Amino acid sequence: MILHTASEGISLARKLENDSAVLYEELAQRYTKDAETFLSFAKDNKKNIVQIERTYYGVITDAIEGGYAFNIDPDNYTFNTTMPKEANYNDILDKALEIEDKIIKFYSDAAEQSKSLMADVPRVFQIIAKKREARKSQLRSLADRPVA
Amino acid sequence: MALLEEPIKEVKTIRNYINGEWVESKGEIVDVVNPAKYQTIARVPISTKTELDSAVEAAKEAFPDWRATPPVARARYLFRLKELVEENFEEVSRIQTQEHGKTIDESRGETRRGIENIEVACGIPTLMQGYYSEEIASGIDEWVIPTPLGVFGVIGPFNFPWMIPLWSAPYAVATGNCVVIKPSSEVPNSQMRLAELVEEAGFPPGVWNVVNGGRTVVNGMLDNPDIVGITFVGSTPTGRDVVYKRCGETGKRVVAQCGAKNFMTIMPDCDVDRTVAAMMTSFFGNTGQRCLSAANAVFVGASDKFYNDFMDKVVDQTSRIKIGYGLDESVQMGPVRDKAKKENILRYIESGIKEGAKLRLDGRTVKVDGDYPDTCFLGPTIFEDATPDMKIGSEEIFGPVMSVMRVKNLNEAIEISNNNPFGNGNSIFTTDGKSAREFQYSITSGNVGINIGIVAPMAFFPFSGMKDSFFGILHTQGQEAVRFFTESKVVIQRWF
Repeated sequence: MILHTASEGISLARKLENDSAVLYEELAQRYTKDAETFLSFAKDNKKNIVQIERTYYGVITDAIEGGYAFNIDPDNYTFNTTMPKEANYNDILDKALEIEDKIIKFYSDAAEQSKSLMADVPRVFQIIAKKREARKSQLRSLADRPVA
Repeated sequence: MALLEEPIKEVKTIRNYINGEWVESKGEIVDVVNPAKYQTIARVPISTKTELDSAVEAAKEAFPDWRATPPVARARYLFRLKELVEENFEEVSRIQTQEHGKTIDESRGETRRGIENIEVACGIPTLMQGYYSEEIASGIDEWVIPTPLGVFGVIGPFNFPWMIPLWSAPYAVATGNCVVIKPSSEVPNSQMRLAELVEEAGFPPGVWNVVNGGRTVVNGMLDNPDIVGITFVGSTPTGRDVVYKRCGETGKRVVAQCGAKNFMTIMPDCDVDRTVAAMMTSFFGNTGQRCLSAANAVFVGASDKFYNDFMDKVVDQTSRIKIGYGLDESVQMGPVRDKAKKENILRYIESGIKEGAKLRLDGRTVKVDGDYPDTCFLGPTIFEDATPDMKIGSEEIFGPVMSVMRVKNLNEAIEISNNNPFGNGNSIFTTDGKSAREFQYSITSGNVGINIGIVAPMAFFPFSGMKDSFFGILHTQGQEAVRFFTESKVVIQRWF
């Protein structure tokens, strides 16, 4: 099902952030040595939701094309957060990077589609996509470290 | 996508909010119906004249103390109200959808527009400042003090149950007046929730009152000598022949914002994709029940190829509009407000066919997404080969009907728009500055859009209107509202 309305786009963003937060909370429990980093990601996800909602609620008016803001297939961006028990740490981090890529793609596509229609919303999507790119570097640095 | 939770869960009888208390009415009780489900969600009283008069009396008694409250302190009540509305943003938006039928994005947009008016009114310490001239003659100074007047009546329509009373009420109370609001009896829940937030914000009793009802309350406001002015948004016959006329007879100030027939002029040099996107929202947003909805699309000097390609896009996108209950986030168009309004729109569609317009997209049969009765639902309708003299081309339909016309040049487009009795929100879509400038200069329309489909002025600009779309002098919103709600007291001073 293709998503078109602003409300649907915001709900999908919220879902991606929440699902990703659940993943990082789980990783924090499983890999306590990097728990602080993972928990900070989960915390940032919650902040992202607040930032997106605040922006959306701040600019949505009857004069913008909220009913036709997006043309998004959610299947392109949704992901499975289940981590196989036998997976090693680097596999897990690869999976996290893969998920980050999907979320970044969502924000980039959604920003592009709505740039002329949704006022400040595309800008906040771009900002979050950029933040997540930085997060990828952090994830890579965890993988690159020698195992203690 | 899942259906968002409904905020109104049980059918309650609405009470009036008078003098800071919730008062049961002795008037007849009528049902408030959710048009998507066609189910009763509340019961609203049709209040009596006595009940209205008691609200006016309370407001009159509250006025001296409220007037004496410094503007900066009055603004703080509004700041608190704004905070409370922000905290309850989602709930008040869903109430609008549940009682009116509009989509959740539209309701949230309406909530935001209402808040913006509260925000502007929070600036009252500056907005209400007078002005001063020293030495207008030897040893004499002169100044103006904007002074509140007393009790104002605010009469709301059904199409924006939350926002439209907020075009007036925050400015009225910010300037030191007291208000009595009559919401539309079709959609009273939004204003009642607002009144609860007003109460929570701690406004003194009598400053903000809400009396539900119909004609009796409207006529009672018009006749009550203690009401000094009225703001009204509704149909032209009521606004012009009842409200404006009666206010003239009784010496009240009046803002009467009325009906519309808006023309969207489309130039052959327009950005096609963005124009089509704007058309979807302008013609079919709020199910066409907006005084700023475009009604006629006027193509100027377009080649047949341009026109046909353009219209193919319009029809394709329109036919894909998802129709259903607005609390389903994926829905792009909700029902019309009630069965009678749907029947009225159907009559216009029949008249369009009869008068020879070409029915390109027929909204009479509608596919509603979800398990809802089609009682109030209509699909979007598109007529081609419409003319300005047809009923569908000249009269306000207030529904999702687009009438498409073709003209030779811009002058002709402006002429047919100017010949229409209404002048509310007309727009042009073009990439040519000269055409845009000519349109803006020549069009007799209170609100003018250049590549804007819904010409809704921000809260710090007046919501304008011309011809049969507006009766009065000053408008609601912003500085003009401040002037409407105050009298200029001029002081000339000399000391011996």
